[in-house]
Amino acid sequence: MAPTQPWGERLLSLRVTPAGVFGVAFLARVALVFYGVFQDRTLLVRYTDIDYQVFTDAARFVTEGRSPYLRATYRYTPLLGWLLTPNIYLSELFGKFLFISCDLLTAFLLYRLLLLRGLGRRQACGYCAFWLLNPLPMAVSSRGNADSIVASLVLTTLYLLEKGRVAAAAVAYGFAVHVKIYPVTYILPIILHLPPEQGRDPSPRASRRSLQAGWRAFLTRLWDRAVLLFAAVAGLTFAALSVGFYCKYGWDFLEHTYLYHLTRRDIRHNFSPYFYLLYLTAESAGGLALGLAAFLPQAVLLAVVSFAYHRDLAFCCFLHTAIFVTFNKVCTSQYFLWYLCLLPLVMPLVRMPWRRAVVLLVLWFAGQALWLAPAYVLEFQGKNTFLFIWLAGLFFLLINCCILIQIISHYKEEPLAERRKHD
Amino acid sequence: MDALSVSLRIQPTSAHSSPDLDVEAGRSWRCRKATVTVPQGDHGVNSPQGGPNPNTWAWRWRLTTRRACTLLRAPEAVPTETAPSTHGACASSRPAPDRDGKGRAARRRTQSRDGRLGRRRNFRGPGLWAVGGRRDRTRERTEASAGSSLRVSCRRAPRRRTLSGVLAAPAVVAVVRAVAWLLLLWEAAELACKSSAALAAAHTDAGIKASCSEIILRQEVLKHGFHRDLLMKVKFGESIEDLQTCRLLIKQYIPAGLFVDPYELASLQERNVTEAVMVSENFNIEAPNYLSKESEVLIYARQDSQCIDCFQAFLPVHYRYHRPHSKDGETFIVVNNPDLLMYCDQEFPILKCWAQSKVAAPCTLKSKDICQWNNMKYKSVYKNVTLQVPVGLTIHTTLVCSVTLLITILCSTLILVAVFKYGHFPL
Repeated sequence: MAPTQPWGERLLSLRVTPAGVFGVAFLARVALVFYGVFQDRTLLVRYTDIDYQVFTDAARFVTEGRSPYLRATYRYTPLLGWLLTPNIYLSELFGKFLFISCDLLTAFLLYRLLLLRGLGRRQACGYCAFWLLNPLPMAVSSRGNADSIVASLVLTTLYLLEKGRVAAAAVAYGFAVHVKIYPVTYILPIILHLPPEQGRDPSPRASRRSLQAGWRAFLTRLWDRAVLLFAAVAGLTFAALSVGFYCKYGWDFLEHTYLYHLTRRDIRHNFSPYFYLLYLTAESAGGLALGLAAFLPQAVLLAVVSFAYHRDLAFCCFLHTAIFVTFNKVCTSQYFLWYLCLLPLVMPLVRMPWRRAVVLLVLWFAGQALWLAPAYVLEFQGKNTFLFIWLAGLFFLLINCCILIQIISHYKEEPLAERRKHD
Repeated sequence: MDALSVSLRIQPTSAHSSPDLDVEAGRSWRCRKATVTVPQGDHGVNSPQGGPNPNTWAWRWRLTTRRACTLLRAPEAVPTETAPSTHGACASSRPAPDRDGKGRAARRRTQSRDGRLGRRRNFRGPGLWAVGGRRDRTRERTEASAGSSLRVSCRRAPRRRTLSGVLAAPAVVAVVRAVAWLLLLWEAAELACKSSAALAAAHTDAGIKASCSEIILRQEVLKHGFHRDLLMKVKFGESIEDLQTCRLLIKQYIPAGLFVDPYELASLQERNVTEAVMVSENFNIEAPNYLSKESEVLIYARQDSQCIDCFQAFLPVHYRYHRPHSKDGETFIVVNNPDLLMYCDQEFPILKCWAQSKVAAPCTLKSKDICQWNNMKYKSVYKNVTLQVPVGLTIHTTLVCSVTLLITILCSTLILVAVFKYGHFPL
C-alpha cells in the first residue's frame, strides 16, 4: 500500500501454490516449444536459435563417432553434444525439452534455497515466480539455448553448499566451470564462505582488526579442511573432464571450449562498452594493453565484492556475475540469464520500494532498446551508426551501474543468528 | 505546322510599312501590323452550342494586335566588296520587297482558299522555282562577277528578301526535303549492306539457324545492411527449345569482404529455395575482412518461370567487418562477374557460339559425378557489383578510448565506494 512497502511482500498478496506455479510454467514452456515448431515451418524467420542447429549438427557428428568440433562455430563442451544425441535418435525436440527441464530444476532449487533461508512456502513461491513466469528464460530455453544447464549446475552447487555437502558441491562446481567458464570467479567467495574449522570463527562484529591481521587470517583460512576438500574435488573433476576430452578430441577441444572464450576479442557490435574501442584498436599495438586495462576494473571489483559479501554466497555470486557481465569485453543478451537466475535469491534481502524496482527494471530495458535501435540500423540498413552504438553501450553501462549501486545500498543482511538455525 | 500556317497567313492590311526598327545592333527588322484569318476547320472548333468557338475568336484577336516583324538580311552578312553598294542599291530597291511581298501574299491567298494540299502544291512550285531561280541568279553572278556591283546587289536583293525572315520559304523547305531524302536513302543503303553482311556471315556458318545472339547476365543485390541477397538472371538471346534439356551452373567468386554461410545454404536447399554449395573450405565465419580469403560458390541455376529461356540463381551473402578508415565511413566490396557453365545432355551446335573452355564440376548438387561443363562467354548488364560497407572511423579512436576508459573507471569507482560504504567487511 505505502510506496515504501517492500516489493517482495506485494507479490505475497497473490494466492499461489508452488505446484500451480510450476505447472503453469511448464505448460507455458511446452506451448512455446510447439509454437516454435510451427513458426519454423511456416515463416521465413525461424523461432529456433541458430545455436540449437549447431548443437544438433554436433550431436549428429557424435552419433557418427566423429568430433563435434567438425561443426563450425561449435564452441561448447562435448558433453552438450553427447547429451543431445537423442536429438538424432528420437526427435529434434528432445534438446529443447531437456533445456526446459533444467529451467524447472533451477526454479525448484531456488525454491528449496529460499525455504532453507527461512521463508515461508508462499513467499518462496512468489519469488520463484520471478524466474518461472519470466518470459525471458521461457523464450531462451524454448528457443534452444543451453544456458539453463549452467544455471542449474550453479544453483546445485549453492544448494549443496547450503546443505553442507562440500564434496558433492565441488563436483557440481567442477562441471559448471567445465560447461561455462564464468563460474570460476565464484571460487573466492566460496572459499571465504565455507565454514571455517572449529575454534576459528571470526565474528563479524570484530571488525576493528588491522588489514594485515585480516590478510593473515585469510591465508590461514586457505588451509582449512573444507576449503582444501572443495578445491581438490573441484580441481579433480575439472581436470578429469578436460583430460578425458582432450584425449578424445585433441587440441580442437581445448581451443573451442576454453581458449576461444578466454581470448575472445569480438570486434562485432555487442552490448559491451568496449566494443568500439576494440574494433578501432584491433590491429594496433596498443590494443593488447587496452584489453588488459579493460580487465582491471573487473578484477578489482570482483575481489572487493568477494571480501565484502561472502557471508551471503548467493548475493555475492549474483554481484560477481553482474559485475563480470557488465564490465566484460563481450556482452550478449544470453549473458543476462547468468545473473538473472540468482536474482530470486537476492530479492528477499534487498529492501527496495517496489516503485523504485519497477523504475530500475524499465531503465534496464530502455538501455537495451536504446542499443538495439542503432544496431538494427547498422546491421539491417547498412548505415554507419557505430558512434551511436558506442554511446548506447556506455549508457547501458551507466544504467547497469546505477542498478547495482541501488541493489547494494538496499541490501540488508539478515542477522547471523537466524541463519545458523538452518545448519 | 500550325506555327508555319499562322505566319503564312499574315497579310499586310495596309501598304504602309513602319520604319525599320533596329532591334539589335547590326540587324534591321521590318515590322507591320497584320491580321490573321483563321481558316475553317483548323482551330475553329465549334462550341457545343454551335457557332464559332469564342476561344478562337480571342486567339484571333490576340494575334491581330501583334506586330508581325520580319528580319531583313543583316548588312554584315553581305560580302564586303558589295557592302556599300548594297546599301545604296537596295535602298532604292525598297519597294521591291513590297512587290514581292504582295506577290507572296497573293500566292498565300490562293493557298488559303485551296486548303492544305493546294498550299503544298503551291509551295513546291514557287519553292523549287525559287531555288532554281536562285541558282540561275548565282550562275549569272559568277559569270558577271567582274560586272557592275549594282546589278549584283540588286539581283541578290530578291534572294535576300526570299531568304530573309520567314523560315517557311518554299526554297528552303525544298532543300530540306531533298536532304532528308538523301539521308533516308543513305540509311537504307547502310542497312542493306549490314543485313547482307549478316546474311553472308550466317550463311557461312553451316547448320546454324540464326545468328549468335548473346547471353546476358544481370546481377542484382537485394535487401540492405549486412545481409544481402545476390540475384543473378541469365537470359539467352533467342528462344531455343533445346535449352530445356540444359543445365546452367554459376560459379561465383566471393571476395574476402563477404562470406557465405554454408549451413544457411544447406537449410535453403532443404526448403527448395536455392541450390548452392561452397567449394572452398577452412573458412571462419566470424573473422574480419583482412583475416579472410576469397571463396567460391557453385549455384545450380533454375529455369525462370517468368521469362522464356531465362535462368535465375539466388545467393544470400553477409558482410564481414572491415578495417576502420581514417575519413570515409564506408568502404566498397567489388563482386566480380561469375563464370557461367552450361551442360547439355546432347551436343548442340549453338553451344559453339558461346563455349570458351571446359570446366569440371559436379553434375548436380547431391551427386558426386563430375561432368564437363562448358564455360560460356556472355555479356553483363553491369560491369560488376559494388557493395558499400560501413566501417569505423579511426579519427574517433582517441575520443572513444579516453571516454570509454573514463566512464568505466568512473563506474567501477562508484561501485567500489558503494561496496565499501554498505558492505560488511570482516576486517
